[in-house]
Amino acid sequence: MESFNWILQLLGRFHSLLVHFPIGLLVVALFFELLTLKGKRQSLRAGIHLMIFVGAVSAVVAAMLGWLLRTYDDYSGELVTNHQYLGIATAVLAVITAVLLRSTLKGKFSNYRTYRGGLIVTVILLSITGHLGASLTHGEDYLTSVFPGNTDVYDDAKGLALLNELKNSDSITIAQQDKLNLEVRAIFAHNCYQCHSENKQKGELILENKEGVFKGGESGKVIVAGKPDESELYKRITLSPDDDEVMPKKGKVLKDNEIALIKLWIQNGAYWSDQALKVFPEATLALEKPDLPKAENQNHPIDKLIDAYFEKNDVDWSSVVDDRTFIRRAYMDVIGLLPEPEAIAEFSRDSNPNKRTALIDKLLEDTHNYTQNWLSFWNDLLRNDYSGTGFITGGRKQITDWLYTSLEENKSYDNMVKELVNPTEVSEGFIKGIEWRGVVNASQRTEMQAAQNIGQSLLGVNVKCASCHNSFVSNLTLAESYGFASIFADSVLELNRCDKPLGKMATVNFLYPELGEVEAETIKERLLKLSEVMVKPENGRLYRTITNRLWKQMMGRGIVEPVDEMDNTPWNSDLLDWLASDFIESGYDLKHLMKQIMTSKTYQLPTAHYEKLEDIKSDYVFKGPILRRMSAEQFSDAVSQIIKPMYAAVAFNPKGEGLPSSRIWHREIKFDRDVLPEPGKRYFRKTFEVNPKTITEAKVLISVDHSYTLYINDNSVSDGADWKKVDRLDVSEFLKNGENIIAVEGSNEGTIANPAGILFSMKIVYADESEQIISSDKTWKSTDEKPNDKWTNIDFDDNEWKEVRNYGTSNWGKLVAFSFEDQNGEFARASLVQQHPFMKALGRPSRENVATSRDEQATLLQALELTNGEFFNNVLEEGAGLWLRRYGEDSEKIVNELYRQTLGRQPTKEEEKILLAALGDQPKKEELQDIFWSTLILPEFQFIN
Amino acid sequence: MDEQNTRRDFIKKMASASLAASATSIPLASFLSSCKGSVPKISSTADTVILLWMAGGMAHTETFDPKAYVPYEKGVESKRVLSTFPKVPTAVDGLDFSEGLESIGSVMDKGAIIRSYKSADLGHILHTRHQYHWHTCYEPPQSVQAPHIGAWIAKELGPSNPVIPPFIAMGQRFTVGEAEELKAFHSAGFLGTEYGPFLIPDPSGGLDSVRPPQGMSIKRFEARYKLYKELANKSKVMENGSDYQRESLMRSMEQSYRLLNSPEAKVFDLSEEPKEVYDTYNTGRFGLGCLLAKRLAMNGGRFISVSTEYEPFLGWDTHENGHTRLVKMKELIDRPIAQLVKDLDESGHLDRTLIILASEFSRDAIMEGRPGEQVKDQVPQPDVIEDEKFYGMHRHFTDGSSILLWGGGVEKGLVYGKTADERPCSSIENPVVIDQVHQTIYHALGMHPETQYTIEGRPFYTTPDGHGKPIMDLFGKPMTKTKDQDKEVLAS
Repeated sequence: MESFNWILQLLGRFHSLLVHFPIGLLVVALFFELLTLKGKRQSLRAGIHLMIFVGAVSAVVAAMLGWLLRTYDDYSGELVTNHQYLGIATAVLAVITAVLLRSTLKGKFSNYRTYRGGLIVTVILLSITGHLGASLTHGEDYLTSVFPGNTDVYDDAKGLALLNELKNSDSITIAQQDKLNLEVRAIFAHNCYQCHSENKQKGELILENKEGVFKGGESGKVIVAGKPDESELYKRITLSPDDDEVMPKKGKVLKDNEIALIKLWIQNGAYWSDQALKVFPEATLALEKPDLPKAENQNHPIDKLIDAYFEKNDVDWSSVVDDRTFIRRAYMDVIGLLPEPEAIAEFSRDSNPNKRTALIDKLLEDTHNYTQNWLSFWNDLLRNDYSGTGFITGGRKQITDWLYTSLEENKSYDNMVKELVNPTEVSEGFIKGIEWRGVVNASQRTEMQAAQNIGQSLLGVNVKCASCHNSFVSNLTLAESYGFASIFADSVLELNRCDKPLGKMATVNFLYPELGEVEAETIKERLLKLSEVMVKPENGRLYRTITNRLWKQMMGRGIVEPVDEMDNTPWNSDLLDWLASDFIESGYDLKHLMKQIMTSKTYQLPTAHYEKLEDIKSDYVFKGPILRRMSAEQFSDAVSQIIKPMYAAVAFNPKGEGLPSSRIWHREIKFDRDVLPEPGKRYFRKTFEVNPKTITEAKVLISVDHSYTLYINDNSVSDGADWKKVDRLDVSEFLKNGENIIAVEGSNEGTIANPAGILFSMKIVYADESEQIISSDKTWKSTDEKPNDKWTNIDFDDNEWKEVRNYGTSNWGKLVAFSFEDQNGEFARASLVQQHPFMKALGRPSRENVATSRDEQATLLQALELTNGEFFNNVLEEGAGLWLRRYGEDSEKIVNELYRQTLGRQPTKEEEKILLAALGDQPKKEELQDIFWSTLILPEFQFIN
Repeated sequence: MDEQNTRRDFIKKMASASLAASATSIPLASFLSSCKGSVPKISSTADTVILLWMAGGMAHTETFDPKAYVPYEKGVESKRVLSTFPKVPTAVDGLDFSEGLESIGSVMDKGAIIRSYKSADLGHILHTRHQYHWHTCYEPPQSVQAPHIGAWIAKELGPSNPVIPPFIAMGQRFTVGEAEELKAFHSAGFLGTEYGPFLIPDPSGGLDSVRPPQGMSIKRFEARYKLYKELANKSKVMENGSDYQRESLMRSMEQSYRLLNSPEAKVFDLSEEPKEVYDTYNTGRFGLGCLLAKRLAMNGGRFISVSTEYEPFLGWDTHENGHTRLVKMKELIDRPIAQLVKDLDESGHLDRTLIILASEFSRDAIMEGRPGEQVKDQVPQPDVIEDEKFYGMHRHFTDGSSILLWGGGVEKGLVYGKTADERPCSSIENPVVIDQVHQTIYHALGMHPETQYTIEGRPFYTTPDGHGKPIMDLFGKPMTKTKDQDKEVLAS
């Protein structure tokens, strides 16, 4: 049987021929059938009947052949399966229609209605099947690829115009030669690069550059200048589409005018232009500051521009949001905190017509909170974090100190860029990248990381693709990327394509050479030059990029999206260029730019309504700010503000390093290695001398993971079981002159080995104002064996005890409260806290790479973290305790306060009723905790409206 | 469990939990310039994957590929020591394991072994870097965050039971050394946190992650959710903005509520197991991880990893006392793994569950790295062993190691590939690299080899550039292969 398979295969291939019978016959039959409606044109009837019967038979045959084609040729995939089932269904329906018709003719039905219904359904199904079949043959984008605006398609109009221009002239000018060649190269780019580029050299042919085109492929030269008919390339593109040798093999045959252009180009000597081919659209480098539209109703420059835009796009102005909405939005955007109820009330009462501007000024002047809010944005953008890969071997460096200071003093943006690109010790972490031990891929060497990160973060251009091969998404080439990366290298880099060395050295260059020369002897000099070239006002790209990012931060969507692809078309280029120019004129003042945006009516519009997510992705029309969700940090800080401090410790302490205490615990060893401590009790001792002077004050700070009892000179002084809490004790009464003993019984909980540690500090102030500090450090001793009762006594012999181990701070961070100074209700701002699972779930990125758009998806894992996460629930539980102490058992007061503080408003009567019913007359911790939860989860709370 | 049944169960469970299309993501306003490329589905031989991760570098010559046994005696030369355990037979004729792995040996007639896995050459050896490479198929660093294999699977296939997260990682804590490097690959990367691992460091506490918060009764949990819904309905203040944003937030909360309130959460409860079963598995956290993996696999888990846990210089990472420590490691894994295979086999789940045991690389007494690409020694090893502490495999060897597989369509009793019997004990037949391992897993699950995702404008494939072919021999479909292909693999 095997030997007859070819016959079946051959038959199968007739499928694509035969399918046209049912399509033609049944569609025409339906058309005629419609013509006979209401009893007209009865002469058509006989023809219709024949078409239906033949159509049904041919549908069945076509379906069978289709089945053969699938079986004997190599067809598979979802599309094929769908086509198959629909095809079978169509055939069956066609037969049913035919049977219905026959029954009708035999008089089993009183009219044609049933049969007509069958026919309509058949034709609909047939059309879908036919469309799927066509998609299989021609490709799924066969139809859509010619839609206007599809950038993948080679711009036909330009080619046609050129063709006409050249056809009508006898001689060809140099300028025309340039144009012709670039046009031909564009045709190559769109149709041939897929296989014949430096990245993928099929038949050893490269059509991407002059060298490749004239060198030809494995079968020799492909272009004979002046002689199209002798040029292999021309021959191959003009073969019949069915020919095995035809080019392009994949995809579509070239269009006639494309072939004509190539012919013309070869005829005219196959001239090669020096100009670079820009296949992809590229934004112009320089800014063009537009004149502001008249728009007499509008005062603010942004509003004037938007007014013109609205007019063009037929959008009406809405009235600006109310005071309550505005103040919340402004607070969140500038300082990342919720306005307190009193501030809202006061702001609403204020009758000053300029109060909104005044508020914006006040917020921008709140340096401390502004810095701690915007730090997160910059950390994301500059790939700066307190923990992450690389730190373990010194292969990575923070720039937090520099960044914090820069924000604090509102450093001008050009200077920030200069200091990032040409860094001092404090800012070098950015271009240093992340270095892993071992051998890394050439495209990930730190010099290349510097090029990629500067490209992405500062210039909105993707250098990543072009660090491996010529980019598929922009005009950037491998050589340009290596030239750029070489600026940061000790010596010029060798080009690598997909990690394979090419034996070709890079030429140092900046991505936009028109801005200036960056070549120099040393790195230092090159970086200096680069920093100067980059910040030139002519480099509109740099300023557009940051302007666009700030717009997105405050308005929810960029003027260009994605914000890292600044060659994409902005929805309003005038607005972008005006703002960027204004930013430059302000002296590169970031706060000026923010104020410019925030004082506009545009910023103060109500959040816009869009049907679905896609509406803000493509074909976007600006109608107002986009509803945003609080960031992980903003949510955490808001909870800290209202309920209870969420985090106790920071990873970066802007106030300096604080006290010299370390987290100490018993040293535990397994197989000669230090390991995490096992659960259980450990005993610690420290002796010290008190000077023979009068003590005016003696204070202790202590915090232990997991729990402790503290003894001083045999007196039990305190105990605690919360490492996030710092116990502050006055211990002067327990001290004596001469030798003293501190003893701590510590306990590590849990079922498996886990971090544990004592953090302790004692400050003794003497009458002569001299101070003595005793800290937890390696002078302490410990044991894991339960000692006898005397162990807290000075006379106990601890010679057998071992020196403790310093467990560092990475597991705990720096406790904000671990300070002898007074605390003013301050909490650890989330932006300063080390990455934490809770914030991670809420979308704070791990900054292993530049992260410029946060994942704002509401995910199940995130909802789980909010619903049953131990961390969040503990915060709420402890917070409930605090609230009950603060507000007594006044349910009404609690309910009102909660809504005022979370949502900035009183609960409505109805809401109050629901809340009070849940809380009861005598509020308990549990009920209050649940009310907290229900309120904090509300969209009204989580969104910045 | 046949595929039909799984599907039906799946639909039934979906209905009972009335979840929207399982745990697919609910986009709010995201501009991550990424989108999924479309590829056709192919037929599958497995629905579930259990990865048994031997963290820290398991020496093949001491475990599943024993060589000549040289017993300890004072003064033995290091270079003579190939294996520190005698060989023991397995259920497969001609296949020997190392002493202490008899139970696993007894179930080898239900599975296959690859003896020729070659780790990548990444220069100076760092465990977490190789582990990153093993789990993501990409060498760190990368210009975008590469997803873990479990995240790819979660993204492509979703949960097969909506109550069980599709990517569960057990056994590894992140408070140990190199924690940040471990976190870097326990991640869904650019696929988004939705597909990230559901972490269960201690399997005996697994239940806590899928039930209402500790100390909260079901009644209270329900009342709390009801209160939230009521308040959300009354809160009419947000008349602006887009409805889809608010709705997606509320939908995710509803999903989580239903999941946590589902009676099926008891799958995570190990106390449901009869005492003797529990005791058989309980050799420690790893053993209990196997027990939980069994329960998950029987109830619609998708990708489950159980790690012996990486902690620098502990577990398989033997920088000294290699022999004595391996006795303990074998006790930890032998019984539970064998029981897992047996239990899934008896219940019929093994047919559609692919179990894989692997490690980032192997170890050797002499060679650090691999022949031709030796790297700086990290462990001092005397030429002559005077102290038993130096008896064992203490250096990192990347040229040959073993991977065990059971179920999910894998040929039974197959031995694929081979390493040399003399040092260096490199892969000398049918060498296998990580791309192939990943493609083999994807093949079993019916995921197309060119599955990809477009991120920052470029396609990112499950394996670099979509390279690597599934090892069809494992599925009983040997491929004709030229010598050149071997060479290609060896060169890569």
